[in-house]
Amino acid sequence: MSDRAAAARRRRLVWKGLEAAILLGMLFLILFPILWMALTAFKRPVDLFDLTILFTPTLDNFRTIFGAPWNIGRTLLNSTIVAGLTVLISVPASTLAAYAFSRFEMPFKGALFFTILATQFIPAVVVVLPFYLLFRDLGLLDTHLALVVVNLAIVTPFATWMLKGFLDAVPTESEEAALVDGATRLRVILDVVVPMIWPGVVVTAVFCFILTWNEFLFALILTRDDAVTLPVGITRFRTERGDLWELIAAAGILISIPMFLLASVIQRHFVRGMTGGAVK
Amino acid sequence: MAEVILRNVTKRWGGFVAVRDQSLSIRDGEFMVLLGPSGCGKTTTMRMVAGLEEPTAGDILIGGNRVNDLPPRERDVAMVFQSYGLYPHMTVAENIGYPLKLRGIRGAERERQVRAAADKVELGELLHRKPRELSGGQRQRVALARAIVRRPTVFLMDEPLSNLDAKLRVSTRAEIKHLQFELGVTTIYVTHDQIEAMTLAHRVAVMSQGEIRQLDTPEAIYDRPADLFVAGFIGSPPMNLVTGQHSNGVFIAAGGLRAETGVARHAGSAVLGIRPEDVTVAPPDAADLVAQVYAVELTGEAVLVTVIAGGSRLIAKADRAWRAEMGATIGVKLDSRRLHLFDAETTKRLNPE
Repeated sequence: MSDRAAAARRRRLVWKGLEAAILLGMLFLILFPILWMALTAFKRPVDLFDLTILFTPTLDNFRTIFGAPWNIGRTLLNSTIVAGLTVLISVPASTLAAYAFSRFEMPFKGALFFTILATQFIPAVVVVLPFYLLFRDLGLLDTHLALVVVNLAIVTPFATWMLKGFLDAVPTESEEAALVDGATRLRVILDVVVPMIWPGVVVTAVFCFILTWNEFLFALILTRDDAVTLPVGITRFRTERGDLWELIAAAGILISIPMFLLASVIQRHFVRGMTGGAVK
Repeated sequence: MAEVILRNVTKRWGGFVAVRDQSLSIRDGEFMVLLGPSGCGKTTTMRMVAGLEEPTAGDILIGGNRVNDLPPRERDVAMVFQSYGLYPHMTVAENIGYPLKLRGIRGAERERQVRAAADKVELGELLHRKPRELSGGQRQRVALARAIVRRPTVFLMDEPLSNLDAKLRVSTRAEIKHLQFELGVTTIYVTHDQIEAMTLAHRVAVMSQGEIRQLDTPEAIYDRPADLFVAGFIGSPPMNLVTGQHSNGVFIAAGGLRAETGVARHAGSAVLGIRPEDVTVAPPDAADLVAQVYAVELTGEAVLVTVIAGGSRLIAKADRAWRAEMGATIGVKLDSRRLHLFDAETTKRLNPE
């Protein structure tokens, strides 16, 4: 009896240990490159290939990438402009589209809604050349506008799908109450619907920002000097003198900082629900 | 304030008819209750008046104007929803003040009107709270205050009490009745609860399967139900309905039930209806029907006796001190002035008015 209990306890312990080991292994795989990047960003070139954890940290790498000839500040600004504009346009537009899909009856609604997502089934490499020719003819190569347009095309369908999910979960009684209380449809959306799905709007905006911030292929093909974004800017550290790993790592930190900040925003918004007390 | 008129209104979703060719005229200041089981079209009817649903056919008039093509905001109606429909991110004061805000009433004037409406439903202390910090009854009172704050021409109430517990329902019911009396606003009230209909309404429209079966005062609907549906739906416990044959003014059913109905013309199968409170226990030799006791239920205020005779059951209401053994033979007496006779085929009432 006690033998069996002891055996069971031992088995449980072994499983627990195994579980912990697997989780630790996965954590290591995910976090180690980030840690390595963070360390590298603060190393002098001489320390680069030294595996010691202890070294004299320096901010020289950051000074270097912000100075001539790299001028990473410019690409940082470009990335911010492109991602910011994309979010500012796509989130309101997708909110309205998602609201229509969630609340209104229309012919071929299902097919239409599916088509929106289906546009994303086409691999980017297939359309990047047509886009290049299009923007060349329009004279928009190497502009923020071109990148914003392309990113909107990528991000808006996803945002619409995400927001429709949030909207479908919100009961319609409060909206109807607002309509009867005297609000126009647009007022209802602004005053009642958006506040009720606000966490969803924030999460969607963050998602759109991340997608745009990390976008590489279109930025690589459609920009040359003026509108180069951070991910493309990083490739310039692969020079004929070799790969400047310490600078790549420093720029990598710059790219990652907004991601860390946004992740914490998402966490905060997911914790509390907003609809409590509206109905029932 | 205004009268509301529905003229041959139909609402169809694909092949499903929710409301069928319905005409209804609600007088200025009247409290009209739409009563019926779920799915009878009563809520759809109200939502068409509010402008939340579009009628497939027919006209809706508020105060003499055809409002079919007007959005809800231009109809000047206020609605109270079953699940309150509050704005969760706004405080109680902001909830109540929202209709005023939309009408451009601002500052101190808005605050004054919000306070007046809140005081009317005794919410004065809670103005700064959010809906999620309120109880169900308080939430429903916020919805009521939001409806009365702007003095609409028509009140619409969609089962406003059904999410409240039994005790609160009774007190809130009285509050709604008093509010309507005080404000004198034309009111349409939807419910499936016949007590609410009886207690609140000036007139009740009993609905079933998208049609109005009877439209009359609560007294008339209780005392002279127009057909078997209304007879069975109104009253608790429900009216006794016994199937039998009728000829020459006499109704006879299996088990020895025999009753003079005063209806001359009908001959053939018929259904006799009588309310439990019109059936009394009597000594067997002075009874209309001798039957066996099937069940005895004490409700507190009375004893409900179910008797069985010839396959049909009858519920009688006896004094609360009355007792009998199960299976005992007793007599029951029917109040001959309160008999209802229905045609078994058309289900229509046969008694004259």
